[in-house]
Amino acid sequence: MSRTVTPAPARPVPPPVIRTTRRPWRRSTREALTAYAFAAPFVILFVALLVIPLGYAGYLSLYREQLVGGKVFAGLANYRQALDDPLFRDSVLRMARFLVIQVPVMLGAALFFALALDSGRLRFPRLIRLGIFIPYAIPSVIAALMWGYLYGPDFGPFAQLARGVGLDAPGFLTPDWILASLANIVTWEFIGYNMIILFAALQSIPPTLYEAAAMDGAGAWRIAWHIKIPAIRQALMLSVIFSVIGTFQLFNEPKLLAGIAPDAISASYTPNMYAYTLAFTNQEVNYASAVSFLLGVVIVVVSYAVQLASHRRARRS
Amino acid sequence: MKSPNTGRRSRLFTTAVGGLALLVLTACSGGSSNGAGGGTTKSVDMAAELKKPATIEFWSWLDGIEDEVKLFEKKYPNIKVKVVNAGQPSAEYPKLRTALKAGSGAPDVVQLETHEVPSFTITKSLLDLAPYGADKIRSKFPGWTWDQVSQGSSVYAIPQDSGPMGMLYRKDIFDKYHIKVPTTWAEFATAAEKLHKADPKAYLTNIPPTNGTVYTGLLWQAGSRPFKSTTATNLRVGIDDSAARKVSDYWSGLIESGNVSTDPDFNDQWYRGLASGKYATWLTAAWGPMFLQGTAKKTAGKWRVAPLPQWNAKEPASGNMGGSTSAVIRTSKHPAAAAALAQFLNSDPASTKMLASKQSLFPATTAQLNDPKFLDQSLPFFGGQKVNRVFSDIAKTVKTDFTWSPFQDYVFNTFNETVGKAMTRRQNLTAALTQWQDSVTGYAKKQGFTVS
Amino acid sequence: MTSHTTSTAAASLGSSRQPGRRSNVLTLLMLAFLIYFLLPLFWLIVSATKDNGSLFSTFGLWFGGGFDFFQNLHDVFTHDGGIYGRWLLNTALYAVVSSVGAAFLATLGGYAFAKFRFPGRNLLFSIVLGSIMVPSTVLTLPTYLLFSKIGLVNTPLAVIVPMLMSPFGLYLMRVYAEDAVPDSLIDAARMDGAGAIRIFWQVGFRLLLPGFVTVLLFQLVASWNNFFLPLIMLNNPKLYPMTIGLAQWQAQAGGVGGAQPLFSIVITGSLVSILPLVAAFLLLQRYWQGGLSTGSVKD
Repeated sequence: MSRTVTPAPARPVPPPVIRTTRRPWRRSTREALTAYAFAAPFVILFVALLVIPLGYAGYLSLYREQLVGGKVFAGLANYRQALDDPLFRDSVLRMARFLVIQVPVMLGAALFFALALDSGRLRFPRLIRLGIFIPYAIPSVIAALMWGYLYGPDFGPFAQLARGVGLDAPGFLTPDWILASLANIVTWEFIGYNMIILFAALQSIPPTLYEAAAMDGAGAWRIAWHIKIPAIRQALMLSVIFSVIGTFQLFNEPKLLAGIAPDAISASYTPNMYAYTLAFTNQEVNYASAVSFLLGVVIVVVSYAVQLASHRRARRS
Repeated sequence: MKSPNTGRRSRLFTTAVGGLALLVLTACSGGSSNGAGGGTTKSVDMAAELKKPATIEFWSWLDGIEDEVKLFEKKYPNIKVKVVNAGQPSAEYPKLRTALKAGSGAPDVVQLETHEVPSFTITKSLLDLAPYGADKIRSKFPGWTWDQVSQGSSVYAIPQDSGPMGMLYRKDIFDKYHIKVPTTWAEFATAAEKLHKADPKAYLTNIPPTNGTVYTGLLWQAGSRPFKSTTATNLRVGIDDSAARKVSDYWSGLIESGNVSTDPDFNDQWYRGLASGKYATWLTAAWGPMFLQGTAKKTAGKWRVAPLPQWNAKEPASGNMGGSTSAVIRTSKHPAAAAALAQFLNSDPASTKMLASKQSLFPATTAQLNDPKFLDQSLPFFGGQKVNRVFSDIAKTVKTDFTWSPFQDYVFNTFNETVGKAMTRRQNLTAALTQWQDSVTGYAKKQGFTVS
Repeated sequence: MTSHTTSTAAASLGSSRQPGRRSNVLTLLMLAFLIYFLLPLFWLIVSATKDNGSLFSTFGLWFGGGFDFFQNLHDVFTHDGGIYGRWLLNTALYAVVSSVGAAFLATLGGYAFAKFRFPGRNLLFSIVLGSIMVPSTVLTLPTYLLFSKIGLVNTPLAVIVPMLMSPFGLYLMRVYAEDAVPDSLIDAARMDGAGAIRIFWQVGFRLLLPGFVTVLLFQLVASWNNFFLPLIMLNNPKLYPMTIGLAQWQAQAGGVGGAQPLFSIVITGSLVSILPLVAAFLLLQRYWQGGLSTGSVKD
């Protein structure tokens, strides 16, 4: 996966509405046993690969292992330190800045493309849909690598073009611009994916919903704004949540770009990179665990806040 | 030939041994290594151990190191060596750390940069090679080189190459702008201003903000001694000592005036800068000339080599940058075979000769350092200059009492975040030096050291 | 929102439901955007035809300086003793095994959650879903330490096993199974005296196949693109997947060891490595487009 280890950047908002059953349950004990048997392989792996490691990380985060003196119980000291750690704070704030700019741009564009496709007014809709989607099939490592070359201040084509017309090469890889350059890579990778999700949602809107409006002479844009977009609120919400999760976990793209722009991307550029550096370079596995946990808390809080805000707005309208 | 003792203040004993060894080895270089790996020692019967079949794993980032390994396998047919390229140092160390942490997956023998040896020694990850015959090859290396890998009578790695620092410069550019090769830092600053004024696109040199080894080499030359440990748990951190402040003030001036560039090194842009004349000098280690020859082919014949500019022209000094070693991981199931490989690669005459010629490493052994064939090789790329001889002379001026911290990764990382960042932003380095000092002190305390 | 089944959503894709006027302006605008999306790929293709010299001396977005694609291809597959081919095979192996496994486990689990009632069902399901927010670093590091204790580190299993468990896959399959497998069909089979396993194989699985393929594709992409997990789990270059291998070559291209000669290899290697997945996506369009809608349309 590009930004995370688990599947797609688009994963649903937990928890979904669980349906109530429609038939009387019989032989309930036997049924429960059968169900457990079916779910067992998944659940066992879930415990082994998620619950246990998470517990272990929590345990690690409460200790401190020193080069001198070995392992000592530290209580919440690692967490306190992380809250005071300017490198951690800066990395989280950097991603927050990334989030408030990149996500609206990416999702706005994805929504626009999805609406355009859904309007049925495009020629070559298939070609356009696939062309926009293709970047999703490209590993983020390779995406970052390609853009890295394109950004190059010496042999990058943009630099060549700029020099060709007598301008200075654009400073894509300078400390001032690197965040925007990263945002561009991520946007490029995931617009198509989000577009497909939103497009699928648009396609499942019953045409009856807006046929009447069209009869009344409402234009395509008004229909889109007043009928279609509200109807796919749920899908939009999903895209936002996954983008939040993905953004805070950003690792591959900055890690790769750090190779060509080390003065712009430090080892603590994103929270995930920082945790990686702490664990594998600074030999502070325990502190890294605490930092990762706090990052998880940030993600949960922001995701929850986004959902809450959206529910409020939905209720008001 | 200058005395090998120049500038040496401490550790007279090892120096004496080294000096003696130099004499002995130049007298009988070539045939001396047969006993290096296979000889008997007090502790381990190497001859018997090395007859036993063993398969060991060796991590190295050197291209073509397999050739040297083949020499070893030929000599010890029962030992098989699996060579793994685990990536450049910055990739290899995290991998090694995880493997060590996990207790499995670590190699038997590993290439470490010299400055990393204490960092892996303190975690008790490295095997003491003394009982495996390493004490017997001590005499093959200059004393200070050996000091970098040993503590008392224990030996934790075998030096592979070294990196005394010098200055590679573009003679054509110097000639064009009538710049005299600077021998002092004061002259260097004047030249920097002169060149940049004459050609705003050119800089006398580039100081990389993302490579702490360069800056540390310059600190080393100036006499800064950032780390000193009196006991195993005590560390004196003097990153911002007076010599370091002197260096930082000096470079602050050059950087703030815009007379030198601050590009990251070893990336496309930097290669291009070396080839295009953007940088008129490269302050680098002895492995630099060969490296440059391979990467800036178009500039052949335009480069020359000189010692670093000096703070005190009467007392020439230099620092060391880079250089690496072979170490044996303590968990190795075949310690004797692993130790033999580490020693063979870096002390066998055929192997060291190959390291110098094929991998273009600047030698660590006294024999290779004094091999007339090596010294008198004239390189057309450098206008026929006997580059190795220049660096061999520089090597004798390297101050030898420099020690590394036991967490050097952290130190270099933090360099990027403090001094490096100030370089990129063209801010004052001395203030950043204090930040660097504070971060490292804080880390050391957190790691349980008493810091003085 | 009403529940549209995946199949109808999938079938409706591509067919424009409002065959209004085609807009040239909109089409041109979209084609302009298309340039942005395809530009890096075009650059990649162009660059794969250049040798190291012309890579830096010719204009990046057009052919020039000879046609060296086949030489580059040859170099990619022979550099470092031909290890690139090994990386490709590793990637394929890891991706196929973990995606088939993950899809199967998710199908079994999703079927159980959708079609059976048992104590702890909702709680368990909520926990699984909540786990999606756990950052990868929190998990990867302890997983590494635990795996090393049982000797899994630096083996293919170290990168396959963690990918077998997909909380998203389970969610998708549960939602899918609720609609795709009618209760009446299960009841009827049960009346005929079929056991739970037989019902699953003969009735359930066949109906769940489109969902199964969707999860499989998702996990295939996730595995194929995986970087963080193998970065930490694997030390041996012979076990690397392509992402790690190419990143290492890229690092070497600028490292002390190699310098420039590797650039054309990295670029051509990148091009070769993306072809299988791009091809898979083009061929399996129906499935992923349908599957994607399952996850989001449902309310």
